[in-house]
Amino acid sequence: MKIASLSPEQAPPISLPLRFFAVAPLFLVLAALLLVTSGGNPFAELRSPAQVAVTHHITLGFMAMVMLGAIQQLLPVVIGSTMPATRWVAWFTFLPLIAGALSLSAGFLLGRPELLNLSWGLLGLTFLVFIAASLASLARAEAKNATKIAIMLAIFSLAGAVTFGVLLAAGYANGLALPYARLATAHISLALGGWVLLLVIGVSYQVVPMFQLTPNYPKWMTAWLAPAIFAALLLNLVLLLPEAAPRWTAFVAEAIFWLLAVGFAAVTLRLQSQRRRRIPDAPLSFFRLGMVSLLVAALLSLAALAFPDAGDLLRTLSALAFLLGFALSLIQGMLYKIVPFLVWFHLFRGGVKTGVPNMKEIILEPWMWRHLWLHGSTLAAALLAVWWNAAVWLAALGLLLQGVLLSYGIFTGIAVYRRTLRKIEQTSTGGSP
Amino acid sequence: MTTIAEFMANDHQACDAKFADAEAAALTDDWSQAEPAFNAFRDGMARHFRMEEDVLFPALKSSGGPAGPVHVMLMEHAQIKELVKQMGAAVERKDAQEYGGLSETLLMVMQQHNHKEENILYPITDQILAAQRETLLGQMQAV
Repeated sequence: MKIASLSPEQAPPISLPLRFFAVAPLFLVLAALLLVTSGGNPFAELRSPAQVAVTHHITLGFMAMVMLGAIQQLLPVVIGSTMPATRWVAWFTFLPLIAGALSLSAGFLLGRPELLNLSWGLLGLTFLVFIAASLASLARAEAKNATKIAIMLAIFSLAGAVTFGVLLAAGYANGLALPYARLATAHISLALGGWVLLLVIGVSYQVVPMFQLTPNYPKWMTAWLAPAIFAALLLNLVLLLPEAAPRWTAFVAEAIFWLLAVGFAAVTLRLQSQRRRRIPDAPLSFFRLGMVSLLVAALLSLAALAFPDAGDLLRTLSALAFLLGFALSLIQGMLYKIVPFLVWFHLFRGGVKTGVPNMKEIILEPWMWRHLWLHGSTLAAALLAVWWNAAVWLAALGLLLQGVLLSYGIFTGIAVYRRTLRKIEQTSTGGSP
Repeated sequence: MTTIAEFMANDHQACDAKFADAEAAALTDDWSQAEPAFNAFRDGMARHFRMEEDVLFPALKSSGGPAGPVHVMLMEHAQIKELVKQMGAAVERKDAQEYGGLSETLLMVMQQHNHKEENILYPITDQILAAQRETLLGQMQAV
């Protein structure tokens, strides 16, 4: 029996996840600044150094930063098993991830091999520590559910994505003769299609019915969807190996992956349309925008398979819809739930009843709605920027403002926490200032 | 035959439905609807807690069930009761904004609590109290 998982001490200290969440938005700001200073149009030039640098500020500096912090917070709750050596794992993922993301981008932008060599060492360390700690935690958890399996497969995908990423960075830095295009394809498909998508799927199985009051995901779907997506990704990888796998095999393997993604997005949107809680909720709208974007990304990639002549353009659009539309919407929406909740939870569990602000007094809702509109506009500008150079500026401005707004929200949360804690401590020591 | 886990999870869903109705009415400032809807939710929750605190948990304890998890559930009940009490005050003041903030908070707490009960505590109960199941279900329905 998983009795230990009901321990009230299972939640790590609030400073642990908030440290990751507080730094992450700064990387959105950095990405925006890079976009406007790099010259040219990074949206139109695939795999230019500027594009690689901007992309990794978003994927490593923002996305991975939030995801690593959130998983260290969520695993104990979702699968009932704490991470080993919580504090050590936090520092040995947090600091090298910051330094690694910065040195990777700088290495690409400035063309400096020593920075690239530094970056793959740091990022390798970050993810090695994180993956080892997560797998140890998963192995100890007695819970046996679809979420645990999806998270485990997401972490396996992450291990693969990091391995390919390290190879790529080390290869570029040291001028190794490597099959770069195929390695990059493998790296991207495992990072986004494996790690990001499978993690979202695993977490959605629990979060969507629980907090949005929808029916449960169908049992047959939770049983096979994540393993099927993982298998489709492996099939795509295997087909990259031979020099000349028949074209149709790669076509079929990629189509299977995207059709499974369509299935997940469609079922989630349908469940959400049946939700019992029908009040306007900004984080929920972020979530739904994310699911619509996943559908759009999948349809664009399927279109790229059907119309190979327009393949590059359609794939670029699909990648933008996936990253900015799907991943960024979900992550930002989640932050607007989790930060107010953590602040409330850590204040309230001390046994104090009065004077603890409720969740909507911690980050104010109107700001979340403004952010949603800003985010939607940024996404539209980024999709337009593929054709229209001036939209690069709009997308960059949008990204910059999003980073600022999110920082504002998170730092407001931290300020409310500190202020309330001080007030509570003063009251409990007799009210003397 | 219904298990304790199924019976209690169904009651959670019934409470969720009342929660959503009350919240929707309160947030549209429709207090003629919100007040009875909130009362129905509050009474449903109170009854659910009585079923656990007066019947299920004592039975679990006297059969040598684990004390730790029950203790944690009782602490969370106290948190939930406090939030529901504050929501009642917001209904009296017809303060939609306050109600919305409290109900948002309650939803997060209540759902995590229900999740732990449904996935951990109730299955333990069904195992340990298998022989008394029908008696217990009868006693809980009579609460």
